[in-house]
Amino acid sequence: MVISGDARNAIDAEIAKYPQRRGALLPALHIVQKELGHIAPETASELAEMFELKPVDVMEVVSFYNMFSAAPQGRHHVYVCTNLPCSLRGARVLLKQLEAHLGVRASATTDDGRITLGHEECLGACAYAPMLRVGETYHENLDLEEAKRILDALE
Amino acid sequence: MGLKVPHVTNYLSEHFGDDAYATLEGYRARGGYEAASKTLRDMAPDDVVELVKSSGLQGRGGAGFSTGMKWSFMPTDSDKPKYLVCNADESEPGSFKDRILMERAPHKILEGILIGAWATGAEKTFVYVRGEYAYGADMLQRAIDEARADGILGNRAMGTDFAHDVVITRGAGAYICGEETGLLESLEGKKGQPRKKPPFPAQYGAFGMPTTVNNVETFCHAPHILANGAEWFRGFGTEKSPGTTIFGVSGHVERAGLYELPLGTRLDEIVFEHAGGVPGGRKVKGVIPGGMSMPILPAGLLDVPMANEFLRERKTMLGTGGVMVMDETTCMVRAACVISYFFRDESCGQCTQCREGTGWIHKICERIERGAGTMEDLDILLDIAGKMEGQAICAFADAAAWPVQGLLRHFREDFEEHVRQKKCPFPESFEL
Amino acid sequence: MPTITIDDRELQVEEGRTILQALDDVGLLMNGVDVPHYCWHPKLSIDGSCRLCQVEVEGLPKLQIACNTPVQDGMVVRTQTERVKNAREGVMELLLINHPLDCPICDQAGECKLQDYAFEYGVPSSRTREPRRALKKSVDLGPTIVFDQERCILCRRCVRFCREVPGTGELGVFNRGDHSVIETFPGMQLDNPYSMNVADICPVGALTTKDFRFKIRVWFLNDVPGVCTGCANGCNIHLGVANNKVYRYLPRRNDAVNDTWICDAGRMSYREIGAADRVQHPMVRDADGVLQETSLDEALRQAAQRLRRLVDAKGAGVVAAVASAHATNEDLLVLRRFNEALGVETSAVAVVEGDSDDLLVKAEKAANGAGARALGFGDARPLLDRLRGGGVEALLVLGHDLLHESLLGDTETLAGLDTVIVLDTHRSKLERVAHVVLPGRHAAEKRGTLTNHAGLVQDVQPAVEPAFQAWAEGELLARLGAALGLPGFDGSFDPAALRADVPGAGDAA
Repeated sequence: MVISGDARNAIDAEIAKYPQRRGALLPALHIVQKELGHIAPETASELAEMFELKPVDVMEVVSFYNMFSAAPQGRHHVYVCTNLPCSLRGARVLLKQLEAHLGVRASATTDDGRITLGHEECLGACAYAPMLRVGETYHENLDLEEAKRILDALE
Repeated sequence: MGLKVPHVTNYLSEHFGDDAYATLEGYRARGGYEAASKTLRDMAPDDVVELVKSSGLQGRGGAGFSTGMKWSFMPTDSDKPKYLVCNADESEPGSFKDRILMERAPHKILEGILIGAWATGAEKTFVYVRGEYAYGADMLQRAIDEARADGILGNRAMGTDFAHDVVITRGAGAYICGEETGLLESLEGKKGQPRKKPPFPAQYGAFGMPTTVNNVETFCHAPHILANGAEWFRGFGTEKSPGTTIFGVSGHVERAGLYELPLGTRLDEIVFEHAGGVPGGRKVKGVIPGGMSMPILPAGLLDVPMANEFLRERKTMLGTGGVMVMDETTCMVRAACVISYFFRDESCGQCTQCREGTGWIHKICERIERGAGTMEDLDILLDIAGKMEGQAICAFADAAAWPVQGLLRHFREDFEEHVRQKKCPFPESFEL
Repeated sequence: MPTITIDDRELQVEEGRTILQALDDVGLLMNGVDVPHYCWHPKLSIDGSCRLCQVEVEGLPKLQIACNTPVQDGMVVRTQTERVKNAREGVMELLLINHPLDCPICDQAGECKLQDYAFEYGVPSSRTREPRRALKKSVDLGPTIVFDQERCILCRRCVRFCREVPGTGELGVFNRGDHSVIETFPGMQLDNPYSMNVADICPVGALTTKDFRFKIRVWFLNDVPGVCTGCANGCNIHLGVANNKVYRYLPRRNDAVNDTWICDAGRMSYREIGAADRVQHPMVRDADGVLQETSLDEALRQAAQRLRRLVDAKGAGVVAAVASAHATNEDLLVLRRFNEALGVETSAVAVVEGDSDDLLVKAEKAANGAGARALGFGDARPLLDRLRGGGVEALLVLGHDLLHESLLGDTETLAGLDTVIVLDTHRSKLERVAHVVLPGRHAAEKRGTLTNHAGLVQDVQPAVEPAFQAWAEGELLARLGAALGLPGFDGSFDPAALRADVPGAGDAA
């Protein structure tokens, strides 16, 4: 089993909140991805069993949402918002600079597995552009130096 | 820590600067939950629906449908459980008001939800928060926990016989889940692919039960309407579009931020007076008035009151009130590339027109930007947009078509110049 | 019942149906009223995503998809207006911008709905200059199906089929927008007893069966209506015939029998027709005990001689007859009359049983067990008991199901019989004990009726003519009866005339 007992308990607690079991699938995927870093086929199969679904039903869902990944990711997920309000304020320049700084193209992971760098659609921080998100934390009103400092501080 | 961005406040946002407002104690100290308490004790659900109807409150999630009408669609003779859904999947580029409401005024949302639940007879509310809004979801969860502990929510909500609970579900990164039936699918643990209608959510909504979906800001107006009455609410805004809304201003402005202003406030007033106009003495080239899916207006057409009845005359809409300002350096073909990439990426992929049309539009825009476009491409763009508009399961296809139509309506010259020069003629524009 | 008007034609339709369903119910869909469609299928849930079936509904500003718009009394629908035509053109153009232009090498060509509709409803030339989507070609989806992702138009019929019909749900749509692709779960296969139906319902050349692909261009095929003989369900089929050869079975819609499906085993049973082990000549056992090919007349003469000698010596009581559940009702009617005329009292039908399911597959692995029973051929066990007990000296046997392990198991019991006359389509161990072997015809090679498990009598007709000597079992028996000089037997066999005497044939399909 790849999903831990703790995660299973957390998932059961989510299931209890919904009139139908499947309602807790997105919360469960969040829980599992947090624990395992990504959602591999065997993880999806275990979830399918917990949710009385076909494995393909789970994998379809994983593939649909940006925040779920079927492939292994770096330890830190760094996403630069490149939608229009941010682009108007230099977000794409910042992303290119960060690509150069990390030596990796967007949507890829650094060789040491430390950071997966990506771009993302609007994150609702339009007045604070440019910005990036590291995991669940927003960093806003950035310039290159500040952005580098944030990335360099990631273990 | 206060609110970090420039803002103008009114009844929704007057306490945004006050950290304590996010706590139950702080919210109560500023009059919070009085309206809900009074409503649940003294008003029949039908009267609440009638009051909200007569206030003229329109949904603030983009479509602008009458909230009271929506509430009245919920069946009263059904023995099935009824649900309310709070749409906190704010993903419209240029919009960030709901995020700030969740972070700064979570109890106001809950109070609005409670009023809506009472009016519609819903036993549970699912708040669907976009996955990226982790902090907002945390703040709202804290508020729910406080409200449960205090008996505001639960089997005897606010000490009455009415039972209501609120559950937060976090999305996972898909714009389409802001569409109400895409949201319902996602809430049920599926891909967020919008449902064909009929059936409509009021008959067959979340988990197959009668459901009403309202936007975060929409709920926030409710306590104020219940506390002060429909006439008071109609004192703000225009006759057809009453109340305030929180405009999010972004892009090339001095003071990007949140501005709660009456509907009907002129767009040029928002851009130049409140947001301070374009930095560096540059001129405005165009403004998207209501989030990225709404057609752009050129500098000459900004003297328009921000309410649908006026914006429609200029072939655009209020949407979510996300005002995006572009200065004179901006290449509108690049803007088209960014916008069309977004819609291509976010199309759920069900309907032919949307799935194929968004991809085709994006490819053409990129080619024009590269200098490989033709004049015929411009007509093809409009033709594709025309084939998408109004022909898909949900309004996403419209949302993807309108910006292209708007850009070509007002900035066709930008596109043509790319074709003529075989390159982008705007070296100073934001980079792609 | 609501009345609706479609293109000035008034229709009484059932309450609760959608426009497309209503048209389908009255048989007008694409057969008088053209509303082209991809994702909608009469036996699958409504998807509403291809958007091709948009029509104008009076009073509604937007075009509506006919597949999901419920009928209402007084509704006025128009399916051929300029707006509708423009919308169809739009959908067709958009479906084609990413579709590969490989019709010349695509096996679906000729029965491709994209090809057909592009011709019928599309624009004459493509305006796209963009590179087409590059996706996986020739994906091996499982034991039966090959998938071309580039040709897929994402109608999702196959995905819904797997979820809703066999309930196996192997397929899903992954990703979103124009990155959407149909896939199986990593490492899993499309493998269920009904898997090949996905190729039938795929409107384009994305899903093809390994069995049929590249065998022949479909425009060379003649579709002959028939009935699958794989089990007692009697699924309706089209036999795809060219050059006097059956290339495939396709399900033929019959809502009372098989909806629009057939099982894979039944579909593959077409191979029995052209199998190498067909009985291709009349044979008789020679003085050395070896079966030798001979003429039909000679085989019949010897069979009659053996029977006549035995019956004259010991009476017809020592003769037993085994009916085949694969034979037609008309064949078996002649057998019954033969038995009556000769005085044979011991007869039964041999039926092999196997797996069944809740969908189509029935336990009886023959098409006409119910027909045989209706004609008085009973359970085989009493007959087997008599055989084992030595009360039988001559056996007239149709088919070789008798040898199945659940019945006789082997030929040992038959070894000592005075006379064994076999009428069969396929060779079997019966040849070890047979004195006369007469080649029969498969249901695809003759006229007649078959009665399915529910008592429904269904017609079959010759789709192919055997490339060797073979006769309908009824004809063989008619001629044998004549050779024996049985009363009422003049050697002729007319299944059309016999049909009237088939139980239940009055309401035959």
